[in-house]
Amino acid sequence: MKVEFTPEQAALRTELRAYFDKLMTPELQAESAETMGEGGGPLWMEALRQMGRDGWIGVGWDKELGGRGMSPIEQFIFVEEVMRAGYSFPFLTTEAVGPQLAAVGNAWQKKEIVPKILAGECLVGIGYSEAAAGTDLAALKTTAVKEGDEWVINGQKMWTSLVHFCDYVWLAVRTDPDAPKKHKGLSMFLVPTDDPGFSYTPVETLGGVRTNATYYDNIRLSEKHLVGELHGGWKLITGQLNSERLSLVNVGPTSQFFNAAVQWAQQTELPAGGKVIDQPWVQMNLAKIRAGVEALKLIVYKQAWAMTQGQLEMADASAAKVYGSEFFIEVYRLMGEIVGQASMINADSEHGQVLQARIERLYRTASIITFGGGANEIQRDIISAAGLWMPRASR
Amino acid sequence: MDFGFTEEQQEVQNLARKILTDQVTPERLAKYDEYQELRFDRSLWAQLAEAGLLGVAINEQYGGMGFGYTELALFIEETGRSIAPVPAISHLVSAALPIQKFGSEEQKECLLPAAVNGELLLTAALMEANNEDPAKPQLSRAVADGDGFILSGSKTCVPFAEQADRVLLSAATDKGVVVLLLDPRAQGVTLQPLKVSTYEPQYQVLLDNVVVAASDVLVNVEQGAAAMVWITERTIAALCAHQTGISDQSMRMTASYASERKQFGVPIATFQAVGHRAANCFIDVECLKLNTYQAISRLNSEIDATTEVMIAKIWAGDVGHRVSYASQHLHGGMGIDRDYPLWRYCLSARHNEMMLGSSASQLAALGQRIAAGEAFCS
Repeated sequence: MKVEFTPEQAALRTELRAYFDKLMTPELQAESAETMGEGGGPLWMEALRQMGRDGWIGVGWDKELGGRGMSPIEQFIFVEEVMRAGYSFPFLTTEAVGPQLAAVGNAWQKKEIVPKILAGECLVGIGYSEAAAGTDLAALKTTAVKEGDEWVINGQKMWTSLVHFCDYVWLAVRTDPDAPKKHKGLSMFLVPTDDPGFSYTPVETLGGVRTNATYYDNIRLSEKHLVGELHGGWKLITGQLNSERLSLVNVGPTSQFFNAAVQWAQQTELPAGGKVIDQPWVQMNLAKIRAGVEALKLIVYKQAWAMTQGQLEMADASAAKVYGSEFFIEVYRLMGEIVGQASMINADSEHGQVLQARIERLYRTASIITFGGGANEIQRDIISAAGLWMPRASR
Repeated sequence: MDFGFTEEQQEVQNLARKILTDQVTPERLAKYDEYQELRFDRSLWAQLAEAGLLGVAINEQYGGMGFGYTELALFIEETGRSIAPVPAISHLVSAALPIQKFGSEEQKECLLPAAVNGELLLTAALMEANNEDPAKPQLSRAVADGDGFILSGSKTCVPFAEQADRVLLSAATDKGVVVLLLDPRAQGVTLQPLKVSTYEPQYQVLLDNVVVAASDVLVNVEQGAAAMVWITERTIAALCAHQTGISDQSMRMTASYASERKQFGVPIATFQAVGHRAANCFIDVECLKLNTYQAISRLNSEIDATTEVMIAKIWAGDVGHRVSYASQHLHGGMGIDRDYPLWRYCLSARHNEMMLGSSASQLAALGQRIAAGEAFCS
């Protein structure tokens, strides 16, 4: 047991921090602010390709897949640093879909799609939820029906984020309507977003982040678009969600923001004298955040390490997701309290912003991940069943 | 970054778990309730000594196994899992370890082999009334007397003071803090027994012009305060390890109980309200365990761990509290029934929560470090 970075890992982090200091130009930061932190602009696209060319996106991937051959820990360090730098990293594509394609994909997917993902030239949106299939995801109704050599896809999805600049949708569909258990009749397809049968309409959210409803109208796909085994989609969905849950609670941005808030409180004078940070209750709020960040950091590092051992536990991934998502909400409250009413001045305001108005926006976006990526109630069910072997009520 | 245990570490864990599971039964623990007997299982202590575990972090030249702080802390975690009636933290972590680190060759040869084989009992007096910082003693003063000291003042909640052969303690002098090894039977020492909810033997130690010989000065005024920080951080991390064992075991007892206990014809574990409370415990225990292991790992490597130890103790206080009450609650009446083992875990968790800084006091101290720019995220 050694809960410290090796000198090589520490050096990698230092190297990455310097790399992103350069990469995150003021122009890219301005573009990111305009897209509400979701990316997709031309500078954002170019920066992603640059990371690909520089070999970072696949730093922890095997060399034969086009990676640099380091371990999942180095991959984690990279993702933490890219997100710490404020870049909206498309982790669903690179950390969740990519590894699944590399593991179970067919020749086309491995030779065409995976290298493009590692090069920053291919983005994939996730098509799971439907109007009547959210937490009960296996109830989804979008179908793929075989006609001759082709699969014909019809249906609608909700919350298909980022799809307005994605190349493919990682689409869960029903291929066996007669399966005795509904989750046994699902399959996964890679659906190109340039197909004429594909369309979407935007959905605006509380946090200003855009997501989409997507429509699939007689999309005809060849066999190569099927991912993994026919009717074997559920395993891919749950595997992808385990990876997604870890990425959702990345600790990099919170660590960086904590440091920025401490510096602000150290430097900002109170009108009556002294600094903001001199107030004991401010110190207390910061200490609560600091203690919580440490736990989140260790939870994700432990799982990165577990991935190097090939033993990522489902209960641990769910625990990370529940802890992280609920902790973030608490962080933005504790931070907001320190700044007070000025924490509600938004990024459009010409005056009065504190800490680039980040608390104002984060507060509005934070609630997404307590239910997104699998509702926390379901995660707690998984934890008590898989982590503590407690029996579950049948549903 | 390695969260796995080495072969040696697994051996220490398994050896300790085997002995403690066999020996620490609810029936044996019941003997100590209400102070019917002194809560110190000497035959278990002898077995632990026989197995080499009392010397797990003591160098081989003094009869120990020669492992490090990590292995010692993993042993302490097992004593928490079983709430073993032995003075493991006070003897091994707060006293033997600092003697090995700071003692003269003569002190080490005189004390360590006997501490390892169980013949000699050590303890530490880290608490004063309303002062939880052993590096800044307020109520104990020492005046130089040749190469020794004359000691006066008081300490409280000293575990096993009457049974111990030496009590490690700090005292203020005009020139700084000194760390002494007090003979509790020396003239001028009064021991007043306390009664506490865990039934651990504890004492108020009153010191009235006690002569401490030069041979019992562990660390002199130049390094005394720093040595006490060293001792305190290791003791706190050991309390966190103990708390990890307690909390993990309470949680698992609760999960088993809820899986078997039926109401409305089904196991109560199948109610989401029950499962989710247990899931919260699982997350809590994981947070405590990981922060504790990080603190232990850094202390083992002798790198700065002040922030990490504080954070671990904050989690130890909060998690101990939350898991203890969730366990009691989900057990219903069984959680408080003295014929069922859970209640002793709850009291022991409370002890660890309150000792050497509660969550609130540690948060305040961490807040001060943050304000001073000493606790940024890396």
